Amino acid sequence: MDFRPSPAQQLLVATARDYLRRHCPIELVQRLALDGRNFDDKLWRGMAELGWPGLLVPGDYGGSDGSLLDVILLVEALGYASVPGPYVASAVAATSLLLGASAAQQERLLPALASGDRIATLALVEEAGSFDPAAVTLACDGAGRLTGRKLFVKDAHVADDLIVVLRDGAALLAADRRGIARLPLETISGEPLFEVTFDAVEVGADDRLTLRGDALGAALRAGALARTAEMVGAAQRILELTVEHARTRVQGGRPIGGHQAIQHACADLVRDVDCSRGLLYAAAWRASEAMPAEREVAMAKAYAGEACLAVARRAHQIFGAISYCEEHPLHLIHKRIQAASLDFGDPALHLETVARAIGLEA
Amino acid sequence: MDFAFTAEEEGFADAVRRFLRDHPPSDFPADGMDAGYGSGANSKAFLRALAVQGWISMGWPPAFGGAGRPMFFKLVLMEELARAGAPFGPLAGVWQTADAIIEYGSERLRAELLPLIARGEASFWQGYSEPDAGSDLLALKTEAKRAGDHYVLRGHKIWSSHAGIATHGLVFARTSREARRSRGFSMFVVPNGTPGMDIRPITSLTGEVYHYEVFLDEVRVPEGLRLGPEGEGFVALLNGLDSDRFWGRFYKAPALERTLRRLVDHANTTRVDGVPLARDPGLRRRLAAMATELAALRWLFYRAACLLRDGAPVTYETAVAKVLADETGQKLARLGMDLLGLWGPLRAGSREARLDGEISHAYLTSLGHTIAGGTAEILRTTVATRGLGLPAGPRHN
Repeated sequence: MDFRPSPAQQLLVATARDYLRRHCPIELVQRLALDGRNFDDKLWRGMAELGWPGLLVPGDYGGSDGSLLDVILLVEALGYASVPGPYVASAVAATSLLLGASAAQQERLLPALASGDRIATLALVEEAGSFDPAAVTLACDGAGRLTGRKLFVKDAHVADDLIVVLRDGAALLAADRRGIARLPLETISGEPLFEVTFDAVEVGADDRLTLRGDALGAALRAGALARTAEMVGAAQRILELTVEHARTRVQGGRPIGGHQAIQHACADLVRDVDCSRGLLYAAAWRASEAMPAEREVAMAKAYAGEACLAVARRAHQIFGAISYCEEHPLHLIHKRIQAASLDFGDPALHLETVARAIGLEA
Repeated sequence: MDFAFTAEEEGFADAVRRFLRDHPPSDFPADGMDAGYGSGANSKAFLRALAVQGWISMGWPPAFGGAGRPMFFKLVLMEELARAGAPFGPLAGVWQTADAIIEYGSERLRAELLPLIARGEASFWQGYSEPDAGSDLLALKTEAKRAGDHYVLRGHKIWSSHAGIATHGLVFARTSREARRSRGFSMFVVPNGTPGMDIRPITSLTGEVYHYEVFLDEVRVPEGLRLGPEGEGFVALLNGLDSDRFWGRFYKAPALERTLRRLVDHANTTRVDGVPLARDPGLRRRLAAMATELAALRWLFYRAACLLRDGAPVTYETAVAKVLADETGQKLARLGMDLLGLWGPLRAGSREARLDGEISHAYLTSLGHTIAGGTAEILRTTVATRGLGLPAGPRHN
């Protein structure tokens, strides 16, 4: 048993931390959150030059043959810096799904995703508001035309391709295909979420992905793990900011961190971050080793969804009034955790997976 | 990273499971109550059975009669024992005392006690707390005065677990008045039955005896039974606290997982209006969340284990793990009581008792867990000051 990342993983994380410190300061995050698009071309191109979008992709298709665990460590660093953008949607979830497609489709689609030249996102959720694939109802009519809508599609505004999950499989459609409209939802976090409508969109045989058995499940688990990693990184950042504040903010002649009420709240931040990270790494390791990881992924996502959110909320209380201001970074990181806790399944969905895994009768 | 056991560790786990099949835990009589920490009842016969396997001394260096097995073998053993609900109550304390004797014990302690420990014939009570020295341990008043090649101990210890059925006490006493509050303490290994030692049981809120108070009236202890250098007892104690918190709680997650499995079975087989309790959405979610919290707890301990194994710095990790272990145990007991409803408060042995009365016992004993071995408040302060570098609060010298 060993909790230490490998030397190569440590290098990846150190590089990411350093790059993001210089190119994605919290002021940029703040500006992007307010500008309505929440995407920075320059930052995305920089990440692409570092090879990050291709981390999961085989070398033959322009990637670097990384493991899911490598990606998770990288996304934790992205979460720490609150990096906005479609990395998880495109480089983790969509890419994972395509890794389960036919060899011909992988060869055709993966190189552009790996280089960051194209961005893809998953359109899954419908009126039921669930990431459970069993809740999907959308399907083509007898003439092969698609009419209906998907909800909460992340990063659809910058996506070149939409991977639309259908009742009988999945289709990859260019986002600007005739009949597709992307309608923004306004979120408290600035996280770009869209309603995507399909009005008699032609779906040909070539558009359909030929997926291996559990490809969708694997992609959803990869997405859930990545959003968990984002929460863990974000919560770690909050922990550090909060402890620094408690150490330096003086009231009544002493730092507030000298008071037990504050000390104990800070101790609980550490507990929540460490527990979330332990479950995350254990689940990501299992998934990377091609072991069954459904239960472990569900536990990690469900736990972080509660615990990291609790970290953010407790931090507001420790910071006091200043954290209520737009110019203070805490709310940004908090909102990121809030959004991530819902994406790829909320705690309730994942706890139901756990309930079945521990043998509770359905 | 690697979250699996090695082939050797897996092989040892198999051996422990075989042992437990051949020696069912229920065959061993309990000498002292199960305090709910996860190490079961205090059973002298079971401790001896572990000794016969060579498992008590397996981690000691060969020069001290051990097999030099790595630390993770001890974890594997405890995890398997806890998972099976085995009565290995004194094991953690026995291991820690042996480690301290090997590290800085006198020749006499090594010669007399290590063989006894290896045979499973010794167990130890901690004589730390006193009526006026609880969380403030350094307020203790017990004194050990030099008298030639002996010390004479006088004082009053309390909350000493299983003192009445153990063989030796680890008595923490003041050996000199020093300017610095943390200096001048020493540790003594005092055999039960030494003249002047009066051990009296304290009946706990379960109706059984777990704690004792010990009166020390002119108890003569040979110099050779002092554990560590004179006056350095507190340093040794502090160094021991990290491992104390770790070894005293490591087996809690697997033990709680065992309890949770029983609750899941109960939820599946108990019907209310024809519907299994397992389908109650609220209970279902609480049980699943508990399974998740127990997995988190287990990894928290294994992470601390890796740090201890690798000799890496440990500042807050064992403190945070102990607090979480104890609060999670309380939460599981509450969940169990809710699940059992009117049957929850029935005692073991009562008509109609469910799950052998285990839940009502856990409900009561778990109340003490966030108090014993460092209160949750003291430990959260440790996490904040030692782990996060927040300023220490005022101390009174």
